[in-house]
Amino acid sequence: MDARTRLFRWPKPYDLPGTNALFLQAVRDNCQYHYEHCSPYRAILDDAGFAPQQIKTDDDLAALPFLPTLLFKNHALFSMPRSRMLIRATSTGTRGKFSQVGFETSGLLCGLHMVLRIGALRQLFSWRPAHYIVLGYQPRRENKTAVTKTAFGATLFTPALSRAYALRYRDGTYQADLDSLIQTLCRHGRSAFPTRLMGFPSYTYFLLRRMEEQGIRLQLPAGSRILLGGGWKQFYHEQVEKEVLYQLAKRVLGIAEQDIIEFFGAVEHPILYCDCPRHHFHVPIYSRVIIRDVHTLQPLPNGRPGLVNLITPMVRATPLLSVMTDDLGVLHDGETCGCGIQSPYLELLGRVGLKDIKTCAAGAAELLREVKR
Amino acid sequence: MILAKGKLYDNSAQEQILSGLAAEINLTRSEKELPLEAVIAALDKLGCMAENGVFDARLAELGLADLTATVHEAACLLRRESLLCKLRNELGEAPFLPHSTAPPAGQTALTTQLLPLGTLFHIAAGNLDGLPAVSVAEGLLTGNINLLKLPQADQGISIEILQQLIALEPRISDFLYVFDTPSSDLAAMQRLAELADGIIVWGGDAAVTAVRHLAPVGAKLIEWGHKLGFAYISGDPPTAELAELAEHILFTKQLLCSSCQTIFLDSDAMDTVHAFCRRFLPLMEEAALRHPAGDISTAAEITLRRYHARLERAMGGGAADNLVYQGKYCCLTACQDSSLALSDLFGSCLVKRLPRRSLFTQLRQHKGYLQTAGLICPEAERPALANLLARAGVTRVMRAGHMSATFCGEAHDGEYALRRYLRAVDIE
Repeated sequence: MDARTRLFRWPKPYDLPGTNALFLQAVRDNCQYHYEHCSPYRAILDDAGFAPQQIKTDDDLAALPFLPTLLFKNHALFSMPRSRMLIRATSTGTRGKFSQVGFETSGLLCGLHMVLRIGALRQLFSWRPAHYIVLGYQPRRENKTAVTKTAFGATLFTPALSRAYALRYRDGTYQADLDSLIQTLCRHGRSAFPTRLMGFPSYTYFLLRRMEEQGIRLQLPAGSRILLGGGWKQFYHEQVEKEVLYQLAKRVLGIAEQDIIEFFGAVEHPILYCDCPRHHFHVPIYSRVIIRDVHTLQPLPNGRPGLVNLITPMVRATPLLSVMTDDLGVLHDGETCGCGIQSPYLELLGRVGLKDIKTCAAGAAELLREVKR
Repeated sequence: MILAKGKLYDNSAQEQILSGLAAEINLTRSEKELPLEAVIAALDKLGCMAENGVFDARLAELGLADLTATVHEAACLLRRESLLCKLRNELGEAPFLPHSTAPPAGQTALTTQLLPLGTLFHIAAGNLDGLPAVSVAEGLLTGNINLLKLPQADQGISIEILQQLIALEPRISDFLYVFDTPSSDLAAMQRLAELADGIIVWGGDAAVTAVRHLAPVGAKLIEWGHKLGFAYISGDPPTAELAELAEHILFTKQLLCSSCQTIFLDSDAMDTVHAFCRRFLPLMEEAALRHPAGDISTAAEITLRRYHARLERAMGGGAADNLVYQGKYCCLTACQDSSLALSDLFGSCLVKRLPRRSLFTQLRQHKGYLQTAGLICPEAERPALANLLARAGVTRVMRAGHMSATFCGEAHDGEYALRRYLRAVDIE
């Protein structure tokens, strides 16, 4: 069994000390694989004077060249022919461009192990059937966004009694229909079975606010949950404190804070980050986070804000080994959380971007506006 | 927010104000005049207030505290002496007095007089802070009625400044209307344009093109478009002057039309370009430390863009022949070509060779975008090189450190704005 498979089958998903050597070996193997099978990746490593076999310590992870998500939006980077990829997914395209990422069967199997381990820890799986309210896209063959696929996948965590979608495909386009979704929710309020709401935090917040405005108060059956994922995307400026959302959920749906679970992940880093009972994203054994200085890109110690660089050896079809996100974040020492998980946890602070820059240099406004990520 | 006749209205009143606007304007123009002295006195007082820091707290509130020094500097241009200097330079002595055309003997003499163009529609699209107020000040100095469309990112500072101006001189209220109609409200833009004798547009190619489509025949178009600045270096440049150029590049973040985007060297050899980059980069780095890129998310975006460009070059996707000299918080690109181009901004200058014999032909290819050249050369050659740059279409030849400085009495993009806001009337 190779290092990657052993890592993803490890029974304790936050046992960083026990798996560090395994992680480094899996990274080294993965790096070697992409170096041999993806010529642009090899060119980048050669340009940086970095050889895959030099990965031996944590410091080498920091020295390993990382690929910004923007690069996956501007270039098709693959280390396998299409025929060997089981799934090709795209990101949701925060600024209009999409990353193209492929996954091979063995990588997806690793992912499955990961989801089972992490989900079990947060009791995501149950034999008790549930109704699903998906605050996202109704799946269809043409929709390749990963968020649609993962949202559908998450409706398989328990036997699904019903599935309702906020964005339904009608007459050739996706249409939002919050009001009929609210009616469905009200019906579920009288059901004997729990309901699971899933979707972007922004949509969830908008839905709950709308219900509150309409004076709707439900007490969903015990076991009902809210699963949040995908970040705030284009609604960043409307982002509310998590506390506000939790209180709103309690008032409107009767769902308590401990039954609200948030996920974090990206097409370019398909690792399931699931929050702990104290709502912190601890780093699981399949992943490493390096926070980098926004000027020098040098690694920063825990507690200092910077660009979020994510590393995982999960995928071979696309060189996702070390990816630089558009997110700003800070990594905290694990013990400061208090939930018992010792691995450090990631707090996301916002996205990079040029704000309110005014210019009268010819062409500069267009250059700044250019959809580069 | 709408400012009309000195009062503030909500945007919902736009339709009502627009429908009565033609009659209001006609009444003012047929019966009232705005005395030059009254405008000068009000602008002078406003300048005095700004210089003494009256607006500093408000700027800080809007997160524009770093503009305080610029505002103080600009305020001095509103002082009486500066305004008189501007009037004298642009229009000559006593420009508004009627005078005789004094033709050669035997021909009929006419009385000639400069009058306001009439109604000016200022479209201050996506421009610099405080600029809308400056544009209106020029319109008022020439006695025009001013309709101002604010840029979307204005944050209300312009309306506050102009309200203050009306408080200092209430007669201005009849001559000033401010709208923050979005450019996408084409119907409203069209109605304002139809009221205007002159349409003044500040903005990039897209804004200028849009206004050209909007402007009715008969309205004069006054375009203050976006420009590209560059430095021209001949001979062995003194380090002090290069340091000033670096300071200028990092201070303006290359966002101004006068900012240096490309540095041209008077040479045929790429070796000269590379040697220059190696010498200039440390000076850029020093300046970059003095002028950090702003907030963390802006800095991160700039860093990521640079890093992405580097990877693309490594992948063979970029202009492979161009060599990047990466410094701390800045970079220089030694380019093979010789054309004037926009840099990647924020301290990322292009360096190119351009021997003076090719200068004219090369610059003509960018005729619509020429404005400022920072010239570094031996003093003995300065007049000849300045003349060559001027003939090629450059309208400001400055010391490298002064490329973005403002000078009292200087023209704007090669023109005297005040002249364009007036018309000459001959009476027999």
